[in-house]
Amino acid sequence: MLWVLLAAAIPIIVHLLNRRRHRTVKWAAMQFLLKASRESRGKKRLRHLLILTCRALALAALAFAAAQPVVGGFFGLGAGKPDLIVVVLDRSASMESSPANFGHSRREIALMRLKGALKDFSGSRVVMIDSASGQAQEVPSPQVLDELTSTAATDTRADFAKLLGQAADYLLHASGKAEIWVVTDLQAANWHPEDALWETTRAALTTLPQPPRIRILSVAGKDSANQAIRTLSARRAGDTLVLGLEVVRTDEATQPLTLPLSIQLDGATLTDSIAISGQRLQLEKTVPLPPERENGFGWISLPGDGNPRDNVSYFAYGPARPVKSLVVATTGEAATYLGLASAPDGFAGQSAAVSSADQLPELSDLSTLFWAAPLPQGETARDVQQFLERGGQVVFFAPPGDDSSSFLDLSWNPTETSPPEQYWILSQWERGDGLLRDSLDGSPVPADRLRAILRRTPTGDASVLARWDDGETFLARKIVGAGTLWMVATLPDYQWSNLGDADVLLPLCQRAVVAGSKRFETGRLTEVGTSLLSPSASRIDDYPHRDTAEPRFLAGVYRSEDGPLAVNRPTEEDLVGALDPAGLDLLLDGTDHSLFEDNRTSASDALGRPIWQALLVAMLLLLLSEALLCLPKRTPATLATPRPLTRA
Amino acid sequence: MSPPRYEFLDADMLSRLGSLPVESRTAMVGNVAGRHASPHRGSSVEFAEYRKYVPGDDIRRLDWKAYARSDRYYIKEFEADTNLRAYFVVDGSGSMLFAGKGEAKVAYARRIAASLSYLLVNQGDAAGVSICTEKLHLEVPPSRRPAHLQRIFDTLADLEPGGETGLVGALHQIAEKINQRAFVVILSDLFTDPAALSEALQHLRYRKHDISVFHLMDPQELHFDFERPHRFVDLEDGTALVAEPSLIAEEYQAALSEFMLSVRAKCHDATADYQLVSTDTPLEPLLREFLIHRIPKGK
Repeated sequence: MLWVLLAAAIPIIVHLLNRRRHRTVKWAAMQFLLKASRESRGKKRLRHLLILTCRALALAALAFAAAQPVVGGFFGLGAGKPDLIVVVLDRSASMESSPANFGHSRREIALMRLKGALKDFSGSRVVMIDSASGQAQEVPSPQVLDELTSTAATDTRADFAKLLGQAADYLLHASGKAEIWVVTDLQAANWHPEDALWETTRAALTTLPQPPRIRILSVAGKDSANQAIRTLSARRAGDTLVLGLEVVRTDEATQPLTLPLSIQLDGATLTDSIAISGQRLQLEKTVPLPPERENGFGWISLPGDGNPRDNVSYFAYGPARPVKSLVVATTGEAATYLGLASAPDGFAGQSAAVSSADQLPELSDLSTLFWAAPLPQGETARDVQQFLERGGQVVFFAPPGDDSSSFLDLSWNPTETSPPEQYWILSQWERGDGLLRDSLDGSPVPADRLRAILRRTPTGDASVLARWDDGETFLARKIVGAGTLWMVATLPDYQWSNLGDADVLLPLCQRAVVAGSKRFETGRLTEVGTSLLSPSASRIDDYPHRDTAEPRFLAGVYRSEDGPLAVNRPTEEDLVGALDPAGLDLLLDGTDHSLFEDNRTSASDALGRPIWQALLVAMLLLLLSEALLCLPKRTPATLATPRPLTRA
Repeated sequence: MSPPRYEFLDADMLSRLGSLPVESRTAMVGNVAGRHASPHRGSSVEFAEYRKYVPGDDIRRLDWKAYARSDRYYIKEFEADTNLRAYFVVDGSGSMLFAGKGEAKVAYARRIAASLSYLLVNQGDAAGVSICTEKLHLEVPPSRRPAHLQRIFDTLADLEPGGETGLVGALHQIAEKINQRAFVVILSDLFTDPAALSEALQHLRYRKHDISVFHLMDPQELHFDFERPHRFVDLEDGTALVAEPSLIAEEYQAALSEFMLSVRAKCHDATADYQLVSTDTPLEPLLREFLIHRIPKGK
């Protein structure tokens, strides 16, 4: 742009210099000159200005044409040719969704647009940083862009704070004028607006010797109908496998939908259907396991829709591991009820042991610890804390007595007795979260049947999930490391309450046991991009796919040292929600950036078109206009033509 | 070696033009016999008219043959020939110094005045010069003597133009001063008020003078063909103006044309012989055509 301004200024500078470099001439016919000068206003001056303008614009057009500019929504009014283009390509799983009425994924559309645009920037060097590998790679030719392994579809996530930081690092060692072209679907989960790394990224971009222009191409458009399925857990229960599933509708449709479900387990295929009425559905599916099978794997899939990559979720299971719980109680009745609730008869693989606080066994293979005794102290407290941090679940019940000891800044208030002929009733509880949440089919836990005549309410920094009718706390939760600490304000003892009835105690204890046992399952389920999978692991599932990307960027079942490992796309790829332009402006504050939301429906549409030919034509027209304006006016024959001996 | 004092004289040219007479377009009143027609009847060989005899007429001029045919006395009258007195009025204002692409207007005026003076004296007529500026009116009265030519040439050689023009005043003075009919040749760029100039010319016409106007213009004044901006300084009063010639050329030409048309019309009204002369025009063809054109038809 600077060159254009300089070119446009040349005729003006020449004009001004000419005005300054006037010659002095002694003149006789001054009376005509003065009269002419008085009359030379208005049209004449306008004509002169027009001539000057034509010259300036013609030179500006020439300089602009020399820069081979491209115009279009992505490029704005005109973009000059940079020396280097760094393309940051979003290869996350969400980029495989297709806009409505469009036969290509957003990634494919973006690549087609990029190919067309880069064709017009033939002199520029192109380097691509893809979101999966984060590595800068030279692009030999835009024509092979969609054939590169590094542009193929993946099941990864994207982290743009990190990617733009890597682009800035690359540009730090590059010379010349550079631009960063970001190709994305603006999924908010990929941009992490709350990430503290943005501060560093912004600083890196703005402090470059030649801060680059950032052009963001968002392949927008209305989403096609799409449903995503995810395996939340794969838990072995005796001869069956309990699959915790979640189905999310990522489009904006709200009408009830019935979807066929296909489950492939160790080569056998099962079919089922699910009905979804809202945007999200969590369910459990129990499938029989082949007899005497130590480990295995499979996948669960939905029919094809707007995003083929979120229609499948993989799972794997290992050998049956007993689910052990430990009950620490000072009263026999409480210990009995807690033992029954944590390992009821008929629940294969569940067992419960009773111990005293003084003689705790090894906790490492326990899933859940039920503690109906004074809060642990000393070495015991350290063991329990360690158990929690490793993912264990500990449920503390109000202990008899009046000890005021604390554990992790939590303690019990003194024992309270309800007024005569009265009891406390559980009246409020969190139905979407916690141990008293509603079941997967939506039926509530009958927690309002709970009555108590004795209680000890917890105190300390913990979130309250259930309250008595007088507002005091019944159930509190504190997250400790990977595990959870729960505090229940009464005992399953009929001298205290009717908690011993199975209505409340059984779901409460079983949920704690299931949550505690998940730490033994997570080894079989992981996400793409985590370090659990070794680079040499081979894919062993037989889900039909045509992926060409590197295996480490793809979901599937892989062989690991401990058996099959199910690798799925990251959770945030199923999150709906896009970053709005204002949010983007905040993230890239201080940089020279522009956003183009591509809503066009034709895949062949280009991002911009070169206009240098048009500029040359404009220059010629301007020069022609200038020449026409410069033509002397036809003056009528006058006496000014000397005619010696003209006689009156 | 210093340049010759009368460098404005071209002897070869004068010898070539010597065969052409300087004629007057009107009758002249001279004090000696000459080659020019006089308003008075005289003793030339050219028959003028008959008129009735009245007592007192010279009986030698009676036409006896006419008396024999008509029995009436007729006096036979002949044209009287007399000499011509020419006044060269040279504009001495500063504007005459301008020399663009041709020679200075004053130099051109010198050459015309000197050449015609020479030719006139050489054919027995009288020539004088009048230099006019705003403040000065220098006059060399007309004389037939060849020695008088030197005074004319000296006056022309010493002419140093400056200041504003005094042409109109000088013409009025000349009109008042010259009692007899004369040939008044005006050599000027006429950069004065056309209306005032017209009055002066009419004054001369009223006195029955034969007027010739050489309107001297430099080619650059006529064409105004400057390219880059110039600072124009008035030769007469020093007024300065910075202008872009390409911007004002058209208006300049229009103003100049208007002036030229006006001046020519004024000359026409005063029956003056008007010639627009570009100073890059060769002098000899100019004078030759001027002289030939003045020769009366049939002579």
